[in-house]
Amino acid sequence: MATPITAGAVAGEYMETFVIVEWRVGVGDTVAEGDVLLTIETAKAAVDIEAPSAGVVSAIFAEADSEVPAAAVLCLIGKDSSDVGYDGDDAPVKGSSLSSAPAPAMMVAERAAEAPRAAALSARIIASPAARRAASAAGVDLRAVRASSPSGRIKLRDVSGASQSVPAFAAPVSAGLPADENGPLEVHRSGAKGGTPVFMIHGFASDSLSWYPLDRQLAKDHPVYRLDLPNHGTSPKRQIGSFANLVREVRDAFDTLGLDGAHVIGHSLGGALALALADTRPRKLASLTLFAPGGLGPKVNGDFISGIARASRPDSLAAWLKVMVHDQKLIDPAFANAAFAARADGNLRAAQSHMGETLFADGTQSFDLVAALHRLECPTRIIWGRKDRVLDWHDALQAPGHVGLHFLPDVGHVPQLEAPDLSLGIISALIKSV
Amino acid sequence: MTVMRYAEALNAALREEMQRDPSVFLFGEDIGRYGGVFKVSKGLRDEFGDARVRDTPISEQALTAMAVTAAMSGTRPVLEIMYADFLPLSLDALVNQASVFTYLWEGQVDIPFVLRTQGGGGVGTGAQHAKSLDAMVCHIPGIKVVAPATPADAKGLLKSAIRDRQPVVFLEHKLLYNTRGEVPDGDDVLVPIGKAKTVVEGKHVSIFASSKMVIEAENAAKLLAKDGVEAEVIDLRTLRPLDLDAIRRSIAKTNHAVVVNEGWTFCGYASELSATIMEHCFDDLDAPVARVAMPDMAIPYSEPLEMAVLPNAVKIAAAAKKALA
Repeated sequence: MATPITAGAVAGEYMETFVIVEWRVGVGDTVAEGDVLLTIETAKAAVDIEAPSAGVVSAIFAEADSEVPAAAVLCLIGKDSSDVGYDGDDAPVKGSSLSSAPAPAMMVAERAAEAPRAAALSARIIASPAARRAASAAGVDLRAVRASSPSGRIKLRDVSGASQSVPAFAAPVSAGLPADENGPLEVHRSGAKGGTPVFMIHGFASDSLSWYPLDRQLAKDHPVYRLDLPNHGTSPKRQIGSFANLVREVRDAFDTLGLDGAHVIGHSLGGALALALADTRPRKLASLTLFAPGGLGPKVNGDFISGIARASRPDSLAAWLKVMVHDQKLIDPAFANAAFAARADGNLRAAQSHMGETLFADGTQSFDLVAALHRLECPTRIIWGRKDRVLDWHDALQAPGHVGLHFLPDVGHVPQLEAPDLSLGIISALIKSV
Repeated sequence: MTVMRYAEALNAALREEMQRDPSVFLFGEDIGRYGGVFKVSKGLRDEFGDARVRDTPISEQALTAMAVTAAMSGTRPVLEIMYADFLPLSLDALVNQASVFTYLWEGQVDIPFVLRTQGGGGVGTGAQHAKSLDAMVCHIPGIKVVAPATPADAKGLLKSAIRDRQPVVFLEHKLLYNTRGEVPDGDDVLVPIGKAKTVVEGKHVSIFASSKMVIEAENAAKLLAKDGVEAEVIDLRTLRPLDLDAIRRSIAKTNHAVVVNEGWTFCGYASELSATIMEHCFDDLDAPVARVAMPDMAIPYSEPLEMAVLPNAVKIAAAAKKALA
């Protein structure tokens, strides 16, 4: 009987999936207890998974660079390389056939697909009339057909046996943007049941995962709500049109949660949005923390905005990530790969590029929140790195006297990543003071 | 073939039909001495005299009722209403008289008249002189409605309309009057009412349009071609009765439909077309029918705002891409 290896609690209770960065062992390798089996990336941090006991790696189910469900069995450690049976009512495959399985990654992929497919079996199938007719004529079961359209509707081209020639660009539209998606913005909840809530808004070309590890620390004492902006993370992709529209979307998401007395934290563009939120919902906020906030001056590094949104390879992304931070060692290949995994979707990058052009046309921050900063009523801290190469930290000097300013030496555009302990300390003190 | 402007083609149709049939006569505001604000009846008063080309006071309601009774009395009147925006003033004569008299008198009377008018935006004429009220007249059973896009169709359809036994509303577009195109020579070259025309062949998506929107649809097809999409553009030419066969044939080939109309979206002509396609072509559809029409609002006087709300090639191409995605 082999021991199934999962990521366990490392994957985080709120993570649905993680990415396998690297395997340190292969099938047939002998391992000792504590040996590193593989490295995974979760919440933008690379974590090693160790062998819980000595044995032989008898099967590997997921390839490097693949995204797998948090509960997936990653590999087996058995007595020898033929020991591939293990306990578990949801075992993907049992018996000796496993060792000769040609494409082990498929099994994990199938397991990942199991839950939604089971749901799909009972739910109504969404297919176009033409696709239904073609499927019926060809004897194709639509339950087994995957929709390629962003609408989620099975189309004629998805039905095998259908004769329709597909337009060269198919989906998504090559030259333009993906079709606008509907639905509310994604808010990821974690942390304590009680306590005052924390609401976090990430920056441009980032996502809700970027708050790690700050969100984990805060989650010990507070319910933490991390927003994904439109065209970011798991939120719908749609054109925002203007900063005002983006503010409206964020406000809608905030209002929907019905939070009272929230500690709002925003970074960069998310800082500008947090400021705009505080301006229109002053009584709902208990405190405001702004990391390198936008909207306090016209200057922005336009090359960075377009470059990071467009970067289509981990290497090019890494180059722009390094602009964000002062200590270049922070951006190692694992970090870049993990960050890229979150933006591997070309549609997402196209939508972000367009959003960047909308918000930062002519390399300028076209939204001015200095007046809003002066209207602030809640206790507010601005935390900014003096080595920021994306936005100018001098912009913070326009703040009124009751706003606390923290300028960190040898820190770039991401204080929460570059100086996590100090950042947490400032926020904790602020929250306690309210 | 002769290259003519759209307005000249209409003028030629009127002249030829007046020469051919002495019962054809024209009336309307400023159409005689002035030749019409868009010069469609230029020179006709001099040629045919003011008994057959009559200037009238401003009263669209009286004019339309007059057209109906003149048609009942055995003449073939051609009435010009200067702006389609004022069609609502004509509606009683169309809804309660022209469209029902043949029925009420058990077929003993025909109502052979043509109501010519022009609509459409794009030149800054504001909320009262730029509308497309196609849907209002298309709603009335017993009235035929045509909306040609080219000089050749303008001439051929106007001649057919004048010769028709039923009332015909003839919708022109102010931005088409100066467009040029080849027009077949000959006094008896007619374009049949109720027949659509494929102006661009394609296999991926069908775009249905009329009047000036045909030009926008053709430009949309060019935009789509850059993405490898072969759009088919169908010029409906007649809005009622609809050429359902042409619509069915095209959608059976492409499985995708975009319907375009410059009028309002809600309860608009594009909506009627969309519902008709859904009823008759449902199993051929691979995506919902996409409507591209005017938003439900007044047409702004400001040029950039007007351009932003009017349907155009870019919006049509975007709708086609969305249907195909």
